[in-house]
Amino acid sequence: MLAAWKRRQLATFLAWSETVARYRRSTLGPLWLVLGTAIGVVGMGFIWSILLQQEMESFIPSITVGLVVWQFISGVVTESAGMFVKHATMLVNIRMPVYLITFQAFGRHVINLLHNLVVVLGVFIVFPHYNSWTSLLALPGLLIVCINLVAIMQIVGIIGARFRDLEPLIQAFFPILFFLSPVLYRPGQLGAAEPIMVFNPIAHYIRVVRDPMLGVIPSVGNYLTVLALTAVTVLFSLWLTGSRAYRLPYWM
Amino acid sequence: MARMKLEGVGVAYPVYNAASQSLRNQLVSISTGGRVQSARGHVTTVQALEDINLDLKDGDRIGLVGHNGSGKTTLLRTMAGIFRPTNGRMTVDGRVSTVFGLGAGMDPELTGYENITRMAMLLGASRKEAEASVPGIEDFTELGQFLAMPVRTYSAGMTTRLLFAVATAVHPEILLVDEVLGAGDEAFQEKARQRMSEFVAKASIFVLASHSPELMKQFCTRMIRLERGRIVSDEPIVPDPPKEEADAAAGPVKEKTA
Repeated sequence: MLAAWKRRQLATFLAWSETVARYRRSTLGPLWLVLGTAIGVVGMGFIWSILLQQEMESFIPSITVGLVVWQFISGVVTESAGMFVKHATMLVNIRMPVYLITFQAFGRHVINLLHNLVVVLGVFIVFPHYNSWTSLLALPGLLIVCINLVAIMQIVGIIGARFRDLEPLIQAFFPILFFLSPVLYRPGQLGAAEPIMVFNPIAHYIRVVRDPMLGVIPSVGNYLTVLALTAVTVLFSLWLTGSRAYRLPYWM
Repeated sequence: MARMKLEGVGVAYPVYNAASQSLRNQLVSISTGGRVQSARGHVTTVQALEDINLDLKDGDRIGLVGHNGSGKTTLLRTMAGIFRPTNGRMTVDGRVSTVFGLGAGMDPELTGYENITRMAMLLGASRKEAEASVPGIEDFTELGQFLAMPVRTYSAGMTTRLLFAVATAVHPEILLVDEVLGAGDEAFQEKARQRMSEFVAKASIFVLASHSPELMKQFCTRMIRLERGRIVSDEPIVPDPPKEEADAAAGPVKEKTA
């Protein structure tokens, strides 16, 4: 892991060059990311605020942050199962720390996230309803979520390289998780059913990032859950990497 | 200085077919108990290398020969630290560089220049070193303005030029090479050989896997023959005599590699 950290320059370069390559032949390039999110936010914000009978002024900021965080989490987890397989030629031909692949894949999603933040910023300028110092609490929240996601990527990546069913499995389940997670709604709106959110880790991730931005301080329970999940996944990923990662080239 | 020691090294790969690689079968096998699973045993193990003993020191120039599938590439990958031996011990002292799997890490959508930085960094160079290697690579490849175009527009020969140039731009202590001089036109072949010999001269330990007796004679002083993952012979290569006698000397070497 240390070796990979020393080569973080390479990981960021790889992440950046892959993003560049992806958009090389389109005129708007990475702006499509921003545009896609913006269209999603406007479209869904309009429809769902009517369906859920919500004030647009409070609903749109909520759905924007929800969607952006959701896209980040689902992007990371969905990609991770196949990321080592995708880089098989690199793995069997070049000696490198396995974390390098994880870091560069994660880096790409961070680049996407940064693009999407433009939309978040725009929305909070148009709907300044919630702007306050509490919003800054979202940053430590996002940081913990990021650490957690890197660990999850590593775990899912290693297991996904050995068991190739994991990737389609995750792809099949994530769309449903979208509705089981408080992206479109806020957990409080579930009424009596709210306690089920306790068992959805994604709900906690979204809350520690979104709630502060909506002027609410997340509960101690949210923070403790996220921290506990992070500790467990980080330890497990370190163990898994130490004991299994050297076998990755054999599985390709 | 540089040293590489292999003691009783063996490498066994598991080959998973679709059935054993799927989660469903693993789950089914948990519920039906291990015995059934081992009876159905879908995991085939291939013993790619067995009991390899080698002690390489400064100045060693090794040529690896053997049929397809005899374990040459596996041995190189093991030496490079990509495959961890399943038996035995391996100790490596020195910076290892590899010239095989040409094109690993190349992105066809990126330009030649961008790929130079990308691949050089993957091979262990820093961003600065990678950028410093650009002029040399420009000279060597003679690709001119094509370097600013996406690599997907290159012909196979042009791609080989670029890949070879990047792979040989760093200066390693231990150099492992899998046969690479396949593509490219004649002029390039000649240039590539020249570059190879400069490159080889700088490395302390050099290992080349190849089917070409001429290459072996040009670059190596010792020939190791692999068969079914075992070393079957290890003998010195007679140094290349002056041009006139080259044909006569080529005889016995050719026989060995035939």
